Amino acid sequence: MDLEGELILVFASNAKILNVEDLLEEKNLPFTLVPVPKEVNPNCGLAVCFMESQKDRILPILKAADLWPSAAYRRKGRDFSVFPID
Amino acid sequence: MIYLDNAATSFPKPPGVIEAVTDALAAPASPGRSGHAPALNASRTIHRARKALARLFGLTDNTRLIFAPNVTWSLNMALNGLGLKAGDHVLSSALEHNSTARPLARFKKDQGVDWEIVPPGPDGRTRPEDFKNRLRPETRLVVLCHASNVTGTLAPAKAIKEAISATPLLLDAAQTAGALPMDDYGQWADLVAFTGHKALLGPTGTGGLWIREGLDLRPLAVGGSGSRSESLVHPDFLPDALEPGTANTHGLAGLAAGVEFLLAVGVDKVRAHEMELTAYFLENIAKIPELSIIGPGPGEPDRVATVSVVVKGWSSSDLAAALEKGYGIMIRSGLHCAPLAHQFLGTYPGGAARFSFGYFNVLKDAEIAATALKELAAKPVS
Repeated sequence: MDLEGELILVFASNAKILNVEDLLEEKNLPFTLVPVPKEVNPNCGLAVCFMESQKDRILPILKAADLWPSAAYRRKGRDFSVFPID
Repeated sequence: MIYLDNAATSFPKPPGVIEAVTDALAAPASPGRSGHAPALNASRTIHRARKALARLFGLTDNTRLIFAPNVTWSLNMALNGLGLKAGDHVLSSALEHNSTARPLARFKKDQGVDWEIVPPGPDGRTRPEDFKNRLRPETRLVVLCHASNVTGTLAPAKAIKEAISATPLLLDAAQTAGALPMDDYGQWADLVAFTGHKALLGPTGTGGLWIREGLDLRPLAVGGSGSRSESLVHPDFLPDALEPGTANTHGLAGLAAGVEFLLAVGVDKVRAHEMELTAYFLENIAKIPELSIIGPGPGEPDRVATVSVVVKGWSSSDLAAALEKGYGIMIRSGLHCAPLAHQFLGTYPGGAARFSFGYFNVLKDAEIAATALKELAAKPVS
């Protein structure tokens, strides 16, 4: 069976991430904050992580709030791939 | 002790501020640098402060609110960040504190910036038309002390902004942030510099600058930011661009608690209380024949809770010492780091004795201070 992947969103600044956290908590959406995976991005900050099945709920909310990520990745186990967001 | 030096720093701090500082100090935390829970909590603490201040100033984008060690640093960040150069024209009020006057004097001397001081009108107040009439094509900036730390006079900031139109306005809100409702400033202001330890009721070592969208400042310093770590080029996005180095987490924890207290009480309620004490004090000291009020007197509008006086036969320093020794009243004497203002007010170089009320003062404090002034005025030193 093909296990569901996670989406990992990277944002420019920590301040922006914390605004994303406020917004997604307010909307009661399932997500976690994780260190940016070094396999794909050298940024030493945090990233927003959620199951891919949530993307149609979460991404439009971020777009409407002008809190769009600078990069996004799909993770399955230890495999990462760029996830197109634009 | 009767503390009447709130224009220097507010005292006491409201409930929760000391606890917030000590809790932050007790936690292992480097905000924005690591992904573990204590580091994330430190980041959230700073975010709380940013959100509270964004609410206070009516900002839609809290990432344009930059933290700094104090308002002097914030003002320097703005003045230096705009890249003023030879031939640029800058206007300022005559009531500026040294935190803007000294950087402007240096720009004038070292870089040939044309700094012009706009004198107040006959009533001692800064007038919007006086700024408008002095605008030139090369005017890059208007610098305005929002409320004088000597006289308490409030400048008509919004009317001045309307008068100068597209020219950016740098507002020194050291004496007004937290003392005056400012929840619409995000809609019309350009640059608002504030300190955390006065009317915002936080600890020293905190302050900041809000920058409207469309204005870009070159950072005064660059370095670690926790972002774009792979690059030798400092990030250009806010707030990281202007917040190099590890933040003052425990100070900002206290600032968050101070601003949240203000928001819970209501800045309008704080202002009403401070104005009640100021009005009472002014009415009573105006009856002392040996005493001159420097700035707006009883019944005059548009002021904050700062009152400076000169008493015949007393130097400002002797008066401050006598108030402390005889009555336990703490005030500030001298030039208040505002020699320009004192020159315009005619109180240079002797200065004045300054009384400044805060939210935690009570009417009895104003009554005791007015009585003390009356008694001391009757027995001059010389």
